[in-house]
Amino acid sequence: MRFKIPVHLLILWSAPVMVVLIMLLSILYGAKNISLNTLSEAVFHFDPTEVNHQIIMQSRIPRAAGALLIGAFLAISGALMQGMTRNYLASPSLMGISDGSVFAVTLGMIILPGSSSLELIGYSLIGSALSMVIVFGLASLMPGGLSPVRLAILGTVIGTFLSSASAAAAAYFQISQNISFWYNARLHQMDPALIKLAMPFAVVGIVLALSISKSVTIMSLGEDIATSLGQRTFWVKCAAIASVVLLTGIAVAIAGKIGFVGLIIPHIARFLTGTDYKWIIPCAGVLGGCFLALCDILSRLLNYPLEMPVGVVTGIIGVPFFLYLIRTKGGRRI
Amino acid sequence: MTKGSRGYYTAVLGVMILLLLFGAYFSLTQGSMDMTVKEVITTLLRLDVQPDRDLVIFEFRLPRIVIAVLVGAGLGIAGAVLQGITRNGLADPGILGINAGAGAAMVIFLFFYQGEIKGTGWGAIMAMPMFGLIGGLLSAALIFVFAWKRGSLEPERLLLSGIAVASGLGALTIYFTLKMDAKDFEMAAVWTAGSIYNANWKYIVSMLPWLLILIPVIYSKSRLLDLLGLKDESTRSLGVAADKQRTLLLLCSVGIVSACVSVSGGIGFIGLMSPHIASRLVGRRHSRLLPACGLIGGLLVMISDYIGRTLFSPVELPAGMVVAILGGPYFIYLMYRNRRQA
Repeated sequence: MRFKIPVHLLILWSAPVMVVLIMLLSILYGAKNISLNTLSEAVFHFDPTEVNHQIIMQSRIPRAAGALLIGAFLAISGALMQGMTRNYLASPSLMGISDGSVFAVTLGMIILPGSSSLELIGYSLIGSALSMVIVFGLASLMPGGLSPVRLAILGTVIGTFLSSASAAAAAYFQISQNISFWYNARLHQMDPALIKLAMPFAVVGIVLALSISKSVTIMSLGEDIATSLGQRTFWVKCAAIASVVLLTGIAVAIAGKIGFVGLIIPHIARFLTGTDYKWIIPCAGVLGGCFLALCDILSRLLNYPLEMPVGVVTGIIGVPFFLYLIRTKGGRRI
Repeated sequence: MTKGSRGYYTAVLGVMILLLLFGAYFSLTQGSMDMTVKEVITTLLRLDVQPDRDLVIFEFRLPRIVIAVLVGAGLGIAGAVLQGITRNGLADPGILGINAGAGAAMVIFLFFYQGEIKGTGWGAIMAMPMFGLIGGLLSAALIFVFAWKRGSLEPERLLLSGIAVASGLGALTIYFTLKMDAKDFEMAAVWTAGSIYNANWKYIVSMLPWLLILIPVIYSKSRLLDLLGLKDESTRSLGVAADKQRTLLLLCSVGIVSACVSVSGGIGFIGLMSPHIASRLVGRRHSRLLPACGLIGGLLVMISDYIGRTLFSPVELPAGMVVAILGGPYFIYLMYRNRRQA
């Protein structure tokens, strides 16, 4: 009898190896290439006067870690949203959630100037919660509103509206520059302190996501089936929304708006591991982190020695995939 | 006067033209240099010539108003055509990704040629709508290729492909704008936000031929557009080559949209809002709907530009942004209302 390892276990077991490899790549390549020796020196005998050591500790390591984490957060949110709404296009950036978070941060900066980073993270969370409530609230008010087309159009329109409104407010109060810093993907300016601040929220979000993964599997069969199986769908939905809000809000707060990770990675995870969200969610996390970190490395090499915004790289990879999904699935649900 | 009668229709058009004139009056007199009606009229009629008023009126405000009205009219009519041929009330040049295609082509054009052809020279300005058109046509073709399946055009897939293509072209646009030097980047950034900030008469000359040729073509087919709103089988049984006419009309509207976008950048929602407002006022017959759409579109863009220019003065908001803020809620209202009826 042949011994077969299930794909999900393969992904999860090899995750540490992949993560270390990608970290190494991400640290070594960039505007200034760094040798392995310098890296080990920097880690084990850190010398604050050495420029290379400073680059590694202050810029490269936070950046690599940030990309891995953000990718994981976005992919997990996307997986939860897709499972819960049974909509194959549900994902944080397509649903205007990132725009909502920028909107709240803009308002926060205007009304309460001089807010600390922690407060700004708070605004970002509130904003992503708000726009999620708006989009899904409106969608569920309309009959058939949760269908892929309606949800995608609603998300796009509300996203455009919110980003225009925040741009207008920013222009009026003349803080456009600070806001554009929030709005654009900025993996390259990862602030280690911000990552540390955000971690507790993210851990709660991930634990929540994993703990409801079984219920999400049942939800993905359809709400009627879930109810008849004794599932308390309302509470599962609430937990899933809370988790998505936490993870997306944190991701936007740390790294700005990054599209497509939350859309395509859950599909790949589902393709590889099957229909059980108990495995899809952690695998999506691993794959999402690796994907975004690789995109980040690519973004440094494509326009060498200048950098490309990582959103452009994820877009170049994501759009063909998006079109493929539309082509094969059309207006249907999962 | 009943709603469908000819008199009612004329009255509606008359009121809209009055509103347009009224809006133009506001836009002309107000801004960072306020002028009285008398001053404006005497300057326009060349009774009392003063260089500073001449400059403000003829070089800054008037071209801006004319462009706003033309762009709005073009987008409004194109929107009505797109909604007619897709039989989908949510179709809009912006959502369908035609704006994004024309926009990406324009940015690529700016990127490659800005150094060689002087940006304000006649050659470059007349070539801009052509590039916009190529981009618009390519993206329209791309969207149709993806949406076309088993010999039919599914409206839902069409809209989704549009969203996808638009976001991809958006990424492409960012890629090129970031590779530009600082001066071009500034111009491209203002332009992609949908602004008629740097209006001048040359732009008007470059876009006008497109509108003058294509709008009459579309208008002459207004009866056909009525028929295309029926089921495909009924259209065919009336002796209309539905697919051929659809393609022709689509090409016309892509041409108009591209000419508009090449001058004003991506202004969304106009093509969506004006047909809906127009059909409530004058009904669904395209021979009446199209002129009304043009007037309403022009009015909307002119008002948005006026608001963007004066509200936060001296900071200017791009007209496209104002339209998005006004249009977003309206769009959601439409979606909500349409579903309830269906």
